[in-house]
Amino acid sequence: MSRPHLLLPFAMLLPSFALVIWIMGYPVADLMRMSVHAVNRFGQAGNFVGALNFSKLFADPLFWASFRRTVIWTVCVTSGTIMISIPVALILSQDFAGRSLARLIVLLPWAVSATMTGIVWRWTLNGQFGMLNALLLKFGLTDQPIEFLATGQVAFPVAILIGILAAVPLTVIIFLGAFSSLPGDVFDAARIDGAGPLNTFRYMTLPLIRPFVNIAIVLNVIYAFNSFAIIWILTQGGPANSTDILVTYLYKVAFQYGKMAEASAMSLMMFAFLLVFCILYARFAMRERAL
Amino acid sequence: MSYARKSILFWLLLSPLLIMVLLPYAVMLSTALKPPTEVFTFPPRWLPETIDLSNFTVIWGKIDFGRALLNSLYVSVGATILTLLLAIPAAYAMARYTLPARGALRLFLLLTQMISPVVLIIGIFRMMSAQGLINDHRSLILAYSGFSVAFAVWMLQSYFETIPREIEEAAHIDGASWFASLRHIFLPLAMPAIGVTAIFTFIAAWTDFILAFTLLRTPDKLTATMKLFYLVSGTYHVDWNEVMAATLVTTVPIAVIFILLQKQIVGGLALGAVK
Amino acid sequence: MKRKSRLSLLGISALAMSIAAMPAFAKTQLHVIVAHFSDHTLTTFQNAAKRFEAAHPDVEINIEDVSWDNLQQRLATDIAGGTAPDISVIATRWVLDYVQNDIAEPLDGYIKPEFRSRFYENLLKPGTVDGKTYLLPILASTRALYYNKDLYEKAGVSEAPKTWDELKAASEKVKAKGDGAYGFGIQGKEIETDTYWYYPFWSYGGDIVKDGKSGIGSDAGVQAANLYKSFIDAGLSQPSPTGSNRQDIETLFKQGRLGALVSGPWLRGQIASEAPKLNYGIAQMPGATKQLTWGGSDSMMLFKSSPNKEVAWQFMQEGIFSTETRLEFTLSEGFLPVLKEEMNDSRLANDASLKAFADMLPIAQFAPLMPQWEQVVAATTAALQQIYLGQQDAKTALGAAATQIDGLIAPQ
Repeated sequence: MSRPHLLLPFAMLLPSFALVIWIMGYPVADLMRMSVHAVNRFGQAGNFVGALNFSKLFADPLFWASFRRTVIWTVCVTSGTIMISIPVALILSQDFAGRSLARLIVLLPWAVSATMTGIVWRWTLNGQFGMLNALLLKFGLTDQPIEFLATGQVAFPVAILIGILAAVPLTVIIFLGAFSSLPGDVFDAARIDGAGPLNTFRYMTLPLIRPFVNIAIVLNVIYAFNSFAIIWILTQGGPANSTDILVTYLYKVAFQYGKMAEASAMSLMMFAFLLVFCILYARFAMRERAL
Repeated sequence: MSYARKSILFWLLLSPLLIMVLLPYAVMLSTALKPPTEVFTFPPRWLPETIDLSNFTVIWGKIDFGRALLNSLYVSVGATILTLLLAIPAAYAMARYTLPARGALRLFLLLTQMISPVVLIIGIFRMMSAQGLINDHRSLILAYSGFSVAFAVWMLQSYFETIPREIEEAAHIDGASWFASLRHIFLPLAMPAIGVTAIFTFIAAWTDFILAFTLLRTPDKLTATMKLFYLVSGTYHVDWNEVMAATLVTTVPIAVIFILLQKQIVGGLALGAVK
Repeated sequence: MKRKSRLSLLGISALAMSIAAMPAFAKTQLHVIVAHFSDHTLTTFQNAAKRFEAAHPDVEINIEDVSWDNLQQRLATDIAGGTAPDISVIATRWVLDYVQNDIAEPLDGYIKPEFRSRFYENLLKPGTVDGKTYLLPILASTRALYYNKDLYEKAGVSEAPKTWDELKAASEKVKAKGDGAYGFGIQGKEIETDTYWYYPFWSYGGDIVKDGKSGIGSDAGVQAANLYKSFIDAGLSQPSPTGSNRQDIETLFKQGRLGALVSGPWLRGQIASEAPKLNYGIAQMPGATKQLTWGGSDSMMLFKSSPNKEVAWQFMQEGIFSTETRLEFTLSEGFLPVLKEEMNDSRLANDASLKAFADMLPIAQFAPLMPQWEQVVAATTAALQQIYLGQQDAKTALGAAATQIDGLIAPQ
């Protein structure tokens, strides 16, 4: 195409790209500036301090503990979500009585938001007055109410379970899309050839939905890494920072402790981590199919 | 295996997940129907002794929940419209023109759609306050669009590419203007993808926590999620019966919309989302 | 010539008119942030604003209430964004951050002696830094021991415990006879978890800061933490305190399932409306080597950045600290008054339970002013939670927290 023709498509592209660059570029630049200056609680920048904010952060054991917990959280939520979502989507893509209702129930938490989910679970899990203990007591599964959120050993796995629950719907949608895109005649042929359901799944379905699995992993890692509301509402990262992940700790450092500069440094590192992950994924995706 | 037996087996297999999903709704209903005096009984009871519907009326006056719902609706619809207005032309340009650096543009979209506002929240706040947009719904609409538009362009472009160019070109030959063929031929064909993109953008805005938390200020501006969060945090007393009534009121309309749109959501995704 | 003069005349009169009309068009805007103490708070301050606006038609006041958990972040981000209010409520102990960063306006130039003399002098002290007054208190509170008279009677405890040892003995009796009721509520998570532990800490003679260093790792600290831990281990507190925030233990008390707990004056009002049948008493904070109680106050601060400081001050003096507003606030919120004249009102003077709290003002100790207070709180809270959970012994956990706090409060 000749030059004048390129004017129109670029004019069509410009507004959306400009918005993305503005909404992400300015904050990134601002964070970079703050991360190398002394900044007071009120965000007013002082002297240039070089890498001091970063070294302070690296010397902070709570940062590393949150980092480790973020890895556990992300890995558990992602793998749990995918392992639940594939069979669920497989079932929901079959024809059975009441399928629409089942689909509806499975997908519902997606639209209800993690905040609402967190609020309701916080109440459900309340040690003395919560409804879950009401159930357990009634069925004799426990004779003392369980304090679900009182220790990190219990609260963190509970938070992971709820994180999975909140992530399942979107992942199921992805796999429902995957299964509905599979060519039916191939499977008919396989069945005629006498392949069992397990073999069919392993040797035919799984390779065919491979790209969808990749996408589900990427989306879930990003969702879990950035997931703030569930842990914040359930435990605020406590007790004794035992359920803090990076995003909740970042929030505390910035807005509760007022250490804006260290928080900026932390933000940038998290941003860089996400970016590296995205680039790895993008290269992987480009190899998979031409961009 | 008969249809009936298969159905029973599937429901059984799904039941652990379904119970986990439905438990919170049972809790909401149970608590929302209780009078304040029954909320903190020990041992806790599932069934209220007296059913108290006043929680559902109290929330409109006392905590002005109706306004919070309208605020949520306003920013979510606003963000959806802005996102589509920006993304549709961009996706069209990406799908239909041979652009230099197209790969780089695609890469840029792929990368930026992964970035979430949480890691940039300090910077976003400072930017919005520099623009005087704190406690202004426009800042939310801009931010939601900013974080949704890359995904929207990506998704729409994937779908637009599956619409055969020939259809438009045929219309063009028939004497239709470029714009007319776009409007009457292309856009109707693209509707499923546009619909799905709209739903995704809407839900991303509707369920947001961190941006509304950081950018909104006064009670009259709060979204429904924020309103509920403030009701359970930082006060000397939490009226769980009212909070649960409000969450129920927020959830039921969404369930209804889901029932109506279920086919489009799943079907649309199969068409465009992950191509 | 004629024409020209007419024109200039017109110009002058237009100018005169615009000057005369200016106040009507450009009202002085005041933005005031108050903390959400209860559902009455906003109304109280809005009433004050309405009265002030009626007396000063050229001023328009915009009052906003913000919940406690979000107030500090809200102010910090507003200051950073240049959208700070003219006046705000802050927790008195935050004052140092605001003074050090040159955000608070010193008030000594505004305060006249007759205005100052209306306050209880000791309540002005916590808002004073380097001899300058930065804050005016709007409420004071002390903490006391609430105990359930029915449970104590059933358990054979005839008198309210005066020391922590007596409290422990009473709790043992309540546990033995109280039909599953817990002896003493211990708060273990969220806001004021550290405060709840300062009560015994202070009575064992501890100091939060001593000679510029954290004192929580001292013997008094270990003793206080071990006291609470012994309650937990013996089943004298509610199970797993790290799962209970302030509301949770207060709810247990309202249900009659708790022998005793420490709380502030606000709990009286909640009991009156939610558990009116509860038969309870209010006693002095238990002591050990010392008899002290926690004193808290919240204050009004004038922002240095305010373009209308004179008017803002006028609103503080005539509006917020008018006798009428003060009484409305004190009566509806249930906190202790800060102006001497408030006690002339019969409703306050005859309130016996309020008097129980007011009587403790002389032994009230205020938290020391220190920078990085919120981080100090976070470190202390985390150490206490580790102790309550049995993950670390008191000496190790508090010692580590003290070292951490020393690093925070050392002059940089």
